[in-house]
Amino acid sequence: MVRIDGSLGEGGGQVLRTSLALSLVTGKPFTIQNIRAGRKKPGLLRQHLTSVKAAEAVGAAEVSGAELGSRELTFRPSALAAGNYHFAVGTAGSATLVLQTVLPALLLAEGPSTLMLEGGTHNPMAPPFDFLQRAYLPLVRRMGPSVEATLERAGFFPAGGGRFRVDVRPAPLKPLHLLERGRVVRRDLKAVIAMIPFDVAQRELGTAGAALKWRPDELRTEELKRPLGPGNVLVAEVESEHVTEVFTGFGERGKRAEAVAGQVAEEVKRYLDADVPVGEHLCDQLLLLMALAKGGVFRTLPLDGHAETQLQTIAQFLDVKVEVREVSREVREVEVRA
Amino acid sequence: MAKSRARKTVVLGMLGTTLDNGQGPHRWARWRPTVALCQQEDLLVHRLELLHPPNATSLAATLVGDIRQVSPETEVRGRVLDIRNPWDLEETYGALLDYVRGYAFNPEAEDYLVHITTGTHIAQICMFLLVESRLIPGKLVQVSPDPRDRAGAGTHTLIDLDLSQYDTLAARFRQEQREGLAFLKSGIDTRNAAFNRLIERIEQVAVQSRAPLLITGPTGAGKSQLARRIYALKKSRRGVAGPFVDLNCATLRGDGAMSALFGHVKGAFTGALSDRPGLLRQANGGVLFLDEIGELGADEQAMLLRALEDKRFLPVGADREVESDFQLIAGTNRDLQVEVERGRFREDLLARINLWTFRLPALRERPEDIPPNLLFELDQSSEAVGTRVTMNKEAQERFLDFATSTEARWAGNFRDLNAAVLRMATLAVGGRITRDVVDEELERLREQWRPSGAKAAVVAGDLVAEVLGENLASELDRFDRVQLADVLSVCRASRSLSDAGRVLFAQSRAQKKSVNDADRLKKYLARFGLTWADVSGRGA
Repeated sequence: MVRIDGSLGEGGGQVLRTSLALSLVTGKPFTIQNIRAGRKKPGLLRQHLTSVKAAEAVGAAEVSGAELGSRELTFRPSALAAGNYHFAVGTAGSATLVLQTVLPALLLAEGPSTLMLEGGTHNPMAPPFDFLQRAYLPLVRRMGPSVEATLERAGFFPAGGGRFRVDVRPAPLKPLHLLERGRVVRRDLKAVIAMIPFDVAQRELGTAGAALKWRPDELRTEELKRPLGPGNVLVAEVESEHVTEVFTGFGERGKRAEAVAGQVAEEVKRYLDADVPVGEHLCDQLLLLMALAKGGVFRTLPLDGHAETQLQTIAQFLDVKVEVREVSREVREVEVRA
Repeated sequence: MAKSRARKTVVLGMLGTTLDNGQGPHRWARWRPTVALCQQEDLLVHRLELLHPPNATSLAATLVGDIRQVSPETEVRGRVLDIRNPWDLEETYGALLDYVRGYAFNPEAEDYLVHITTGTHIAQICMFLLVESRLIPGKLVQVSPDPRDRAGAGTHTLIDLDLSQYDTLAARFRQEQREGLAFLKSGIDTRNAAFNRLIERIEQVAVQSRAPLLITGPTGAGKSQLARRIYALKKSRRGVAGPFVDLNCATLRGDGAMSALFGHVKGAFTGALSDRPGLLRQANGGVLFLDEIGELGADEQAMLLRALEDKRFLPVGADREVESDFQLIAGTNRDLQVEVERGRFREDLLARINLWTFRLPALRERPEDIPPNLLFELDQSSEAVGTRVTMNKEAQERFLDFATSTEARWAGNFRDLNAAVLRMATLAVGGRITRDVVDEELERLREQWRPSGAKAAVVAGDLVAEVLGENLASELDRFDRVQLADVLSVCRASRSLSDAGRVLFAQSRAQKKSVNDADRLKKYLARFGLTWADVSGRGA
């Protein structure tokens, strides 16, 4: 029985999701205590419960402590089952986080799966669908399995109602080498709006475009047709020869469009200046995939708290060695070996 | 695959025709309480019973769809509630009551929350009343928007109307109750469990009820004291506004009784020179304590019953009834049930007044309470005699040894204890009650509680010693001594030997067995070496 301390790192929901994902893949049961100990409302919230329920279904698991507000959970998977799944997340919570919980296991399952996910597709504090589709899944495909994601409808907080489909054809995970990003082949800055004044998009594009010095033809506004609720997201995509990275900023009440754009531009600039292939969000996910592949190496920015927590959790389930080397002040090389 | 089986959370709520309103896509930019309730990250509503007026069906349908979107875990059941005027308390409460009565609550498996953010104030009040009266076995829930993000879900608060669930309030209630109990016991730290339970119950009833109370118990057990305390407690908790009026019914006699209780009008009878309100009217809005209620006459009982049932009665000589609303506390040391059987007390009146009957135990029945009461009486006596009265340990032990023994009958209960302590306090030099003072008091108490027959026997026994002398008397067998004692007492009370003979041999005389009583007595006395002159006590 693997024992996890939920107060690890920033004490958020990531420890729980990574543990669920690894438990499904390895078949090792685990107990997690102090769930989300560091947060204002500690214990399991509804979005976490949805991830637990999804993992429970995929792993035919025996679960105790899966209740609202619970600070302790025990999870014992019995058999990994590929197939058709439908997961709906309440409170417009992130459906992509639910996918990240069950996808690693389904990549390695006996047969193909189809997942229908409903809820939020573009949530702050979670990878948006664009990141999934453009940055994460292409790398997964490069490692072996075939995965396709199709957005049927975007869902923003608070209305939710987003919907996307993911088709998975499993294959063994091969180690990945990603030391160079190569030449930048395409840059795209997209301001998505739904029931939000058009000028918000214009201001976001203007601010970020100027800060990044991107050409006008690289900036565009996308207004969602027949939206379920209001929403605004600014998505910057940097497509290079060997990798694509996606950066996002969310418009919120009380947050100026210029501030949203400024933050996104800052993140993109840091990535471009460091000349690394992997940004910080992709890093967390690659660590998990490479640990499962038992090999690989990539270059990224200095590891943040999220990545450290991810490494500690992985070490609880998998017997792999991870070495982080400092290449320069802004560049780290991460190598995973069996 | 064992799934965790958590209880289900069910919300009953009114659709807010204003707050929940909105059909276009811009509705999501507004905070809608019913939707927000289903968007709480830390509250999962398994089922929502959405009550709505008949004309809000389309709005209800929108809400059902929206809630399905933000909370796929929630089942929404729309229910039409036909309230024409939701600002009308009677109609709204009636409709909700009908709904609740017909609802299949299953508290074993489901937790109920009543959503009060929406609906008119009247609807909210009705919901509150239904929860407070436990007709809905649940808690209240209220949502409030996030002031910085009006489109967000905001937060929710659960309100449990069971106030004992709140630690600080519960602590305050306990404190208040303890104070109430200590108050009823005059601050005496009584230890008798049965007595303490009785006082607890009286406290509950006294604070909450306006119904008559009947206090029974032997004389001196503290009925009158307790009635005063109950009144004072009610007054301090604002349970009563009027005065405390008390009367011992044993002091009522004849024509004056009716008038004292119910008043009279001027000229009702000879001597009725002016109107008299009577005690019942004086007690209006307050408490009337009728001690020894078993002593009330038949007419007074009938009138009192009417006054209790209708809060109206007829003063003597009046042709119009007057009103008075008071709480009755009745006291009695008699068994009123027996009085009813003997036809001396009205059965219907007893039924009226013994809704709450409290029997105060005799002091003898709770010996463990004598020490705290002794301390209390010492304090009281200190005030009465004007100096601090103390009792050293030895004296206290000596007194308590006796006071808690079976020998101590405490026939007059607290009246006896109070008198004993007051006597000791008065005789205590410098306020210190010594062992000698205690011993003297114990003699007095023994004397006081001696059964009257035994008292005579002892007096007679002393007569034997007086006449024969201690030495000779002590040589007598008890058998002879008792007989002699009685003979001597008759002799003392008689004018002559013949008189005494006639009394002593009355039966023989009646049956004409013996006529010479005087001679028979003379011979009997001679056996002890006594003559009439020795025993007559008159020196003749």
